[in-house]
Amino acid sequence: MRVVRRPVASAFLLLGLVAAGVGATGLALASQTGHQATPAGRPTLVPIPIGRLAPGPLPTVGARVAAPTRLVIPVIGVSTPLVRLGLTSSGALQPPASTSVAGWYTGSSRPGAIGPAVIGGHIDSYLGPGIFFRLRLLHQGDRVYIRRADGTIVVFRVTAVREYLKARFPTASVYGPVPDAQLRLITCGGTFDPAAGHYLSNVIVYAVLSH
Amino acid sequence: MTLTGRVARLVRLAAVLGLALGGLGLAGPAASASTGWGWLRLAHLSPNTPAVDVYLYSFGNPQAKIVLHHVGYGTVSAYEHVPAGEYTVAMRGAGAAAASKPVLSTTVDVVNGKAYTVAGVGPAAGLRLEVFTDRLKAPRHKALVRVIQASMHQDTVKISLGKTVLAGKLGFPAATSYTAVAPGTLTVRVTGPTQHTTAEVTLSADSIYTLVVLDDGNQIRVASLEDSAGSKVMPDGGAAMGFGGTAPRPGEPLLPWVAAACVGLIALAGGMTVLSRRRRPALHAR
Repeated sequence: MRVVRRPVASAFLLLGLVAAGVGATGLALASQTGHQATPAGRPTLVPIPIGRLAPGPLPTVGARVAAPTRLVIPVIGVSTPLVRLGLTSSGALQPPASTSVAGWYTGSSRPGAIGPAVIGGHIDSYLGPGIFFRLRLLHQGDRVYIRRADGTIVVFRVTAVREYLKARFPTASVYGPVPDAQLRLITCGGTFDPAAGHYLSNVIVYAVLSH
Repeated sequence: MTLTGRVARLVRLAAVLGLALGGLGLAGPAASASTGWGWLRLAHLSPNTPAVDVYLYSFGNPQAKIVLHHVGYGTVSAYEHVPAGEYTVAMRGAGAAAASKPVLSTTVDVVNGKAYTVAGVGPAAGLRLEVFTDRLKAPRHKALVRVIQASMHQDTVKISLGKTVLAGKLGFPAATSYTAVAPGTLTVRVTGPTQHTTAEVTLSADSIYTLVVLDDGNQIRVASLEDSAGSKVMPDGGAAMGFGGTAPRPGEPLLPWVAAACVGLIALAGGMTVLSRRRRPALHAR
């Protein structure tokens, strides 16, 4: 009896130790992979653009301002030409063809005119960071600069950074009417759904014209 | 105290702690409510009142927040984005000292998310400051239009926009409420007792406008103001702006690891029990 029980008990002990160890290690590793990747390292240094400041918007109908050509956000190292964005066949905002540039939605106001000017850019490509990778790191009060075709510069001040589930996208507060010149910067965020191949949320930066 | 009693106490403690932490988690986001902001713009719509300096004071602060100099008849400022709260609008003759007694003043309570036009209206003899609440939301795919009658020359006007009559008989000084119209390029037609005028105006969907009937020398004219502008076409839903290259790998299921650890612990416990039972009789034997 003894001869049989001793090795069995020892085997149980050994097996138990190994299983508990493997379980604990696996648990520790697995619970770490679920975390949101935080942009590491410093953003590229981008100088504040220099140029003539655009005057505030005119209240009269039909007052035209020059089209936007470049977006500069020094605090997160963004400096990008602005492509033109329309709508997809399903009526959604068309994303830029390249992940390394941002685009201005031509159905929205021109930056510096009355209404919300909407600019979209990718958070990432299949391989790495996109132009708006650090967008969610913006804070209230940060400055955003737009250069326009006539060389003038419009300066916006960030008022809020929000994340919304795409299923509950706040269309009215992003695209809806406002009485002054405002800016919206849109990218993806939240959880990535690998099966569907897209993010479940949008990160939206709200900004108003800075005087 | 028995072991089960201690366990029960621990469970209760953990439950209370969990509730407290959960409560904190819930209270966190709710506490960070958005700060209140609204919009204000200033206008001079009194035909025979000379140019004025318009001062905007935040309530209780004698230092003017905004001063608009030499504002003449027919001038409307752009909207100022201001913190919600009470403001005083004061008008002084153009060039008058900032400390002098204002010709007239009024208070306006700016509510979070609302916009106001504060206008000097009426004839010089009966000049007063009127606070208009401006709409910020148009019915979907429509434009909103209202009229402010600021012409003394033609003191009663009929005003139409395309085929829509905005006001049949609008006296001086007065304003209509907003009317929803189909967007497009439309003709504004203003007919007074002795004069009439027309103007073209292009209205976008989801945008809001004010038409102001003004004296222009001996003529009348219409100024069209953009109160609020939205996107010409509202995109549907969210935007697909990422491919997942920087996304965290999806969290691996934790259950197998938990199960492995549990099995291990049970095996350990089992093994130890067996070993200790085996040793006990041996000790007695000695």
